[in-house]
Amino acid sequence: MLNRTLAPKLNEINKINFVYPEVKKLNNETELIWMKDVLDETVRVELHFNAGTIHSINKVASITNGLLLSGTEKKNSIQINEEINELGVFTDFESNQESAVVAFYCLKENVIQAVQLICNAIQNCNFPQEEIDDAIRERKQQFLISSEKVSFLARKEFQKKMYSNSERYSRQLEINEYDNITRDQIISFHSNHYLNGLTRIVVVGNIDENQITQIINNTSTWCNTTEKNYENKFINEKGHFHIEKKEAVQTAIRIGMPLFNKSNSEFIDFQILQTILGDYFGSRLMSNIREDKGYTYGIGSAILESYLAGSFIIATEVGCEFVKPTLDEIKKEIDRLSIELIPEEELNLVKNYLLGQLLKSADGANSLMDLYLGVDMHHLSLEYYNEVIHRINTITSEELKTLASKYLIWGNLTIVTAGKK
Amino acid sequence: MIKFERFTLPNGLRVIFHHDPTTPLAVVNTLYDVGARDEHPDKTGFAHLFEHLMFGGSVNIPDFDMPLQLAGGESNAFTSNDITNYYDIIPAVNIETALWLESDRMLSLAFTPKSLETQRNVVMEEFKQRYLNQPYGDVWLELRPLAYEKHPYQWATIGKELKHIEEATMDDVKTFFSKFYNPSNAILCIAGNFKLKKIKELVQKWFGDIPSGIKPARLLPLEPKQEILKEKIIERKIPSDAIYLAFKMPERKSFEYYISDLLSDAIGRDKSSRLYIKIQKELKFVTDIFAYITGSIDEGLLVIEAKLADGVTFLQVEEAIWNVLDEIKNEKISLKELKRLKNKIKTAKAFQEQGILNRAMNLAFFELLGDANGVNEELKIIEKINENHIHTIANQLLNSNNCSILKVKAI
Repeated sequence: MLNRTLAPKLNEINKINFVYPEVKKLNNETELIWMKDVLDETVRVELHFNAGTIHSINKVASITNGLLLSGTEKKNSIQINEEINELGVFTDFESNQESAVVAFYCLKENVIQAVQLICNAIQNCNFPQEEIDDAIRERKQQFLISSEKVSFLARKEFQKKMYSNSERYSRQLEINEYDNITRDQIISFHSNHYLNGLTRIVVVGNIDENQITQIINNTSTWCNTTEKNYENKFINEKGHFHIEKKEAVQTAIRIGMPLFNKSNSEFIDFQILQTILGDYFGSRLMSNIREDKGYTYGIGSAILESYLAGSFIIATEVGCEFVKPTLDEIKKEIDRLSIELIPEEELNLVKNYLLGQLLKSADGANSLMDLYLGVDMHHLSLEYYNEVIHRINTITSEELKTLASKYLIWGNLTIVTAGKK
Repeated sequence: MIKFERFTLPNGLRVIFHHDPTTPLAVVNTLYDVGARDEHPDKTGFAHLFEHLMFGGSVNIPDFDMPLQLAGGESNAFTSNDITNYYDIIPAVNIETALWLESDRMLSLAFTPKSLETQRNVVMEEFKQRYLNQPYGDVWLELRPLAYEKHPYQWATIGKELKHIEEATMDDVKTFFSKFYNPSNAILCIAGNFKLKKIKELVQKWFGDIPSGIKPARLLPLEPKQEILKEKIIERKIPSDAIYLAFKMPERKSFEYYISDLLSDAIGRDKSSRLYIKIQKELKFVTDIFAYITGSIDEGLLVIEAKLADGVTFLQVEEAIWNVLDEIKNEKISLKELKRLKNKIKTAKAFQEQGILNRAMNLAFFELLGDANGVNEELKIIEKINENHIHTIANQLLNSNNCSILKVKAI
């Protein structure tokens, strides 16, 4: 008779293969990173630009990013999009604080045509006024809709307070600032941060050297020459800040503090610590606030990394009537890490879980590329992940307790709530 | 081409095995043939609430996630109007842990009152987060009952109202489990680098002794053929007016399903689609417009949704939409356009099939539709579609007497 109360024997994950991509330097500032070990016909291409929102005084950075296919002397946006779609290509434009990305996804057979089309459109983009007006109209409305969401309101306020020493990182725009954007600003941003702002090209696909050369040829004049000006230290405004939204049925909570990134020697340890607190389904925050109390659909913590700094955050949305008890419980869980040793059983579970996650993040060319990009931005090698495995295997409850009492101090945190008081 | 093997246990459990020699991970995907459409009209939201309870411990194992995480794995699930699907991603060396856990919760749950009480609260918070506390969040709670009068697609998976979830009792839960959660009503799909023989052994070991149960008969009320245009206006505190047009479309297993899908792409998939070019770019009546299908197994919906630009009336937008629809009904689409739509699908499918989890889920879903190999037939079916097919379906579907319109007015 099968004894179902006994768990099957576990096997250790003893080896993870971290595969390096091929790196080609275009010059000192710009490189192409290529992962060719792809078993199917897909190709992912990303162009990374030094075109983040910290480089613009208003919404110019994100508007420019969204208008890169808005038209050239020879083609309007509809024609450009049609040609791209005819090739079955999917595009994705994104800009965040420190950089902007143009990504596209296609089949091998179309990659060169796609590169030519998209690069040509970016190179010769002349930003027709009508397209600018359309984009501003659409974004203003999107902004108004987002402003109805407590998560959006909380995020905005949280950024202000978390990066309080840096105007460029903390600034939050109001809706009327869209109206101040001019075509000249966009053209100049495009010229400085795209046509002279390429920092890397990422390719994941089983294409050949000749095709890689063609990709480089299409983009090589864009190599970055603009200052990056990343901030290396943030100072937060501590305390509790509330944004009132009367009709809300849930309140968004954001809690956090400035931290460091992978280049800091304590990063791995903190990553393990915050996983225990809030970064997996069985975490203390999830077990307590969702699975025990039922205050929320979900709660989690994470480390956000920027090029030269980082931050630690906790995010959740809870029924308005549960804000106070939720904050109390979060405080309790944070404090507990500095007071009590993490039980061996729990630590062991998190260690195994993290190894499983690492195995997953090294599965397949696309995941491996993301792993590589995650360390490359801090000038580290894939060797870093072997160090992660080593730390997971060796870290002790005592070490984690010491780390918690060094960093996880309730009074140092920024707390933002948005919703109904 | 996704290769697979298929076998059935004596207790009726259907098993699909997909061999992938390239990954150190394994996926165990368990699909139960039960969704919100199988709920009683007075006890809606139940299939989904139940999905939450499946993580609350089973008859021999007090906690589901803990042993899985200890084995380096993770798990999640989703409920749709048609199915409930659970998946575990785990290092292949520990696949047996996932089979142990999945088989025990198929055998029976712990049914602790605490789990029911907590998950009721969690689901009510989910209801608020997704449907009540978002601008336009409750649109589907309004659109479904407008479009469907008899068929249970008239409620969303979260349920008609919070009250149904609040009032769920332990007896309800137990009845639901014994009716739907048994081997004869499930499809198990395992993917990873294993030998078929090994998988057969393991599945037999863990699932073999679970009582078969009776596959529940599904007798859903048929939706009567729609004869007239249905319309509803609701007022909400939102920044701009929005309009939703929902057209009934053919069921999942039909050839016409794929034609309708392509038709929705032609009118509203991307920036080359007809609605976008005409109504957003040219007329500037809207700030956002697109079309999609619900993808449901029974008669589904082809939906057009749009947010109105400031100062534009519902009347203007509606008229403009009907003009675009008339155009595709009157003139056959060009071969160039057809090719574009098909190329887009080809790329999308290639990327979707990259992940082992997607492959496992798709195989299980197509097995439910009748044949797991259907996943490999889709592109061939789409390739067969020509301009005449689209013309015919456009004329069948895109009519006012097949349409339900929901207008959300900003106040």
